[in-house]
Amino acid sequence: MALSATVRAELRDIVGPANVHDAEGDLVAYARDATPLFTHRPDAVAFPADTAEVAAVLALATRHGVPVVPRGAGSNLCAATVPLRGGIVLVLTRLNAILEISADELLARVQPGVSSAVLADAVAAHGLLWAPDPGSRTVATVGGTIATCAGGLRGLKYGVTRNYVLGLEAVLPTGEVIRTGGRLWKDVAGYDLTRLLTGSEGTLAVITEATVALLPAPASANTGVAYFPSLAEAGEAVARVIRAGVVPATLEFLDRACIDAVEDFAHLGLRTDAGALLLFGDDGPPDLVATHLDRIGAACVAAGAVEVTTAREVAQAEALLAARRCALPALSRRGGVTILEDATVPRPRIAEMVDRIDAIAARHGVAIATFGHAGDGNLHPTCVLDSSDDTDAVRRAEAAFADVFAAALDLGGTITGEHGVGAAKLPFLAARLGDDQLALLRRIKTAFDPAGILNPGKLGS
Amino acid sequence: MTGDVFDPGQLSRCISCGFCLPACPTYAMTGDEASSPRGRITLMRALQDGTLPPDDPTLAEQSSFCLGCRACEPVCPAGVQYGSLLEQWRVHQWRGRRRPPLARALTLVAGQRWLLRLLGLVRGAARGPAAPSPTTAGPAAAPPTTAAEPAAAESGAGEPAGQLMLGCFERALYPAVSRAARALDPALAVPSAQGCCGALHAHNGDLAGGERLARRLGEELPGTIVTTSGGCAAHLASVLGPRRVRELSTWLAGRPPGTELRVAGRRARVTLQDSCHLRNGLGVFAEPRALLRQVADYVELPSAATCCGAAGTYSLLRPNDSRRILDAKLDEIEAAGVDLVVAVNPGCLRQLRTGLRRRRSAVRAVHLAELLAEATAPAPPA
Ligand SMILES: Cc1cc2nc3c(=O)[nH]c(=O)nc-3n(C[C@H](O)[C@H](O)[C@H](O)COP(=O)(O)OP(=O)(O)OC[C@H]3O[C@@H](n4cnc5c(N)ncnc54)[C@H](O)[C@@H]3O)c2cc1C
Ligand code: SF4
Ligand code: SF4
Repeated sequence: MALSATVRAELRDIVGPANVHDAEGDLVAYARDATPLFTHRPDAVAFPADTAEVAAVLALATRHGVPVVPRGAGSNLCAATVPLRGGIVLVLTRLNAILEISADELLARVQPGVSSAVLADAVAAHGLLWAPDPGSRTVATVGGTIATCAGGLRGLKYGVTRNYVLGLEAVLPTGEVIRTGGRLWKDVAGYDLTRLLTGSEGTLAVITEATVALLPAPASANTGVAYFPSLAEAGEAVARVIRAGVVPATLEFLDRACIDAVEDFAHLGLRTDAGALLLFGDDGPPDLVATHLDRIGAACVAAGAVEVTTAREVAQAEALLAARRCALPALSRRGGVTILEDATVPRPRIAEMVDRIDAIAARHGVAIATFGHAGDGNLHPTCVLDSSDDTDAVRRAEAAFADVFAAALDLGGTITGEHGVGAAKLPFLAARLGDDQLALLRRIKTAFDPAGILNPGKLGS
Repeated sequence: MTGDVFDPGQLSRCISCGFCLPACPTYAMTGDEASSPRGRITLMRALQDGTLPPDDPTLAEQSSFCLGCRACEPVCPAGVQYGSLLEQWRVHQWRGRRRPPLARALTLVAGQRWLLRLLGLVRGAARGPAAPSPTTAGPAAAPPTTAAEPAAAESGAGEPAGQLMLGCFERALYPAVSRAARALDPALAVPSAQGCCGALHAHNGDLAGGERLARRLGEELPGTIVTTSGGCAAHLASVLGPRRVRELSTWLAGRPPGTELRVAGRRARVTLQDSCHLRNGLGVFAEPRALLRQVADYVELPSAATCCGAAGTYSLLRPNDSRRILDAKLDEIEAAGVDLVVAVNPGCLRQLRTGLRRRRSAVRAVHLAELLAEATAPAPPA
C-alpha cells in the first residue's frame, strides 16, 4: 500500500523529519531480515525516540489503517519483520537505555533497543547474570528477544526468555500505553499479559520497556567437547547425561558438515573427522563444575564418544561457545542460501528425530546439515543451496522441511522451538495448534489490534 | 538488470545474520540498516539484480559513506569479503564523472611516477642517509651499528634483505618514516624506480588501475616488499599474494629489542591505533604491540581496532563524518594518559597528528618506525 501525504506528514511531525526514511534504497534495506527467500518493501521506516512517539505512530496507523512492523535488529529467522503488506517499519533501536540495575532486587529495567550482549555485560559488572543467551546475542535486541521468547545456549538449565520477564511497558496498536507485571516476583492480578506478550512477535503490542529478572552470576563456568561417530550417538549421550543426574547449562551439538564450517571460520582445532560433536558446559562453584563435567564426559564415553576434552582456560571455553554461535552463518561458506528450521522434539526422542531427518533428506535428494540445542531437543536442520535461483532445489528443500515438521509433530514435538512463526511458519501453525486454538489466537489478536495494523500476515492472522 | 557489477559468488555469501552490525562504525553513528555492512550488501544485491537503478541516490551515498575499514570482515562467520565487494561497488558507482573529483585528482597524482619522484626529492629524500626522525621527544638515537646489520638482514624470518617500499604518502608528507625504517634495518634496499602500489586507486573506483600498479611495483621491487603502510601492505598482498609483502612490524618481529624509550625521566607510555586494513585484511595486530611493549609501557585503547576516520581518502572526501569518528577517538586517547599514540599507516598518522595538534593535545602521534628508531639499539652480541 502507498502512504497518503497526510500520513507521511504526520509521521514526520511525530518522530521528526530526520527520523523517517523513505528513499527507495532505504526501503530496500528494510525489506528483509535474517530469513532467506522473504522480502517486501515497507513504505517508510520510522525511528521513534520514546514511548510517546511510539504511541503516536501507532494511533496514527490505526486511524489510517496503515500496517506497522516493529523491528529490533532484524536478526530473526522466521521473516517476522518482513513488512509483507508494506506500511511502516518501526525501528526500536533508539530506545536503548539501561534504566536501572538492581542487585538487591535481582532485576534490571531496560529499553527494548539494548542488545542482549550489552545488557549481559552491564549486569555482569554488578556480579549478575542475564540468562537469555541466543546465538545472536551481540546483535539481537532485548525487545526482539522478548518478542520472540528466544532460547539459546543456556536453555537446558536456565530455561528461555519467558522465565526472565517480570513486567513490560507496551503500547497497544490503538495507542494506549499499558504496564504489565512489574518488580514483583509474585503477582496474579489479572491474566498474565506479560507472558502473552513474550513471544507475541510484534503482533499484539510494541514493547517499550522491560523489567527483567537477573541471577547472581555463577562463580565459574567451563566447557568441554565430545566427539562421536554420528549424531545418533550424540543424541544417546544427551539422554545418558540427564540420567546421570546432571542438568548442564549447555548441551549443543553439531554434525560433521557443521563442524567443518565452524572450524573453517574459527580455527579452534576441532576434529573434522568426527561425525558429530557435543559441546557441553556448566557453571557454578568450581568443584561442582568439575564434577559435573567429569560425569558428562563419562556419560559421553558410555554413549560411544571417541574423544572427550575439556577447556583448560576461560578464553578457550568462551571461544568454543562463540564458535558454536556462528554455526549458521558459517554454514553459508558452503553455498549461497541457507534455509534452516527449528523443529523441536521431547529430549529422549532426539536420536529418533535425527534418523528421520536423514531419511527425509535422502528421500528429497537434499543435503541437510544439523546442529542445535541438544539439551532442549531443539534441532536446526539446515539446507545449504548454491543459489535461490535454483527453484527446483528450493522446492525440494521446502518439501523436505514440510516432512521434517510432520515428523517433529509425530514425535510429540513442535514446528518451532525458538525462532518463531513469523511469515515463514504460519502455514504450518494449524497443524500444531488445531483449528480451535488458532481461532482463539485470532480473537486475541483482534482484541489487541481491532484494525489489524500490527505486523499483519504473521501470528494471529 | 545491471547483472555484472559484483562477483555473484562473493555477493551470495552473506546470509544477513547481522553479526557484523556491532563492528561497523557508520552503523554505530546512524543506527540505520542502510549504513550497516548487512544493509550495504542488501543494496549491492539490489543494484546487481536491477531492483534499484544504477543512479539511485542511496546507492551513491552508502557506497561513499562506508569507510572501507573492513571491520565487518573478521567478525563475519560466513567469510564475506566485504572489502572486495566495496571495491567492485565503487568501480561501478564512481564511473566516469560520478567519481568524486578529489578522488580522481589524488589517484591521478599517485599514478604519475615522475611526480612521486619529485615529491620525494622536494620533501627531503627518504632515500638519503638513514637517520632517525627528530619528531619525538625521546633521547637521540644512537647511529645504527654496522655489526648488527648482517643479523638484522637475516632476521626477517631468515629471508634475504627486503626491498623498502616508499609509499606515495610517506614520500610526500613523511619522508622521516622511511628514513626511520632504514635506520632500523639498514640492510633494506631502496630502489629508486618505484611507483605507487595502487591501493588508492583500488579503493576509489579504479580497481583495474589499482591491480596494474601493484603488479608493476611487484616487478620493480623483486623479492620481499617491506612497507611502513598497513594499507599498502594489504592491497599489495591481495594482488601479489601475502608472501611477497611484509608490513614493517612483521618484518622486525623477533629482532633484538631496542632500549627503553623514556619521556620526562620515566618509561614512556604509548598506545597503538591499528591500521584497519592491516588488522582486518591481513590479521596483523599482535606484532606492533609486541614491539611496543619491548620499549615502552603499552596501554590498549578500547577502540584501538576501530577506524580513526582517515580511511584512505575518506578524511578528504567526507571531512565531517571523518571528524566525528576522529573526535571520539581523540577523547579516548587523551583519557588514556599516554605520551604517544602510534600509527602503522601514514594516513592514520596524518589523521591523528592533525587532530591532536588542533586540540593542542600533549599527546603526540608518531609512526611505529619513528618510535622504534628512537629506542636505541642494544649493544650487538659479541
Ligand atoms: C546466527 C543466528 C543465531 C540465532 N540464534 C538464536 C538462538 O540461539 N535462539 C533463538 O531463540 N534465536 C536465535 N536467533 C534468532 C534471533 O536472533 C532472535 O530471535 C533474536 O532474539 C531476535 O532479536 P532482534 O532484535 O533481531 O528482533 P527482530 O528480528 O528485529 O524482531 C523479531 C520479532 O520481534 C518483534 N519485535 C522486535 N522488537 C520488538 C518490540 N520492541 N516490541 C514488540 N515486538 C518487537 C518483531 O516484530 C519481530 O516479530 C538467531 C539468529 C541468527 C541470525
Ligand atoms: S556480512 Fe557476514 S556477518 Fe554481516 S550479515 Fe552478512 S553474513 Fe552476517
Ligand atoms: S567497511 Fe567499515 S564502514 Fe564499511 S560497512 Fe564494513 S565496517 Fe562498516
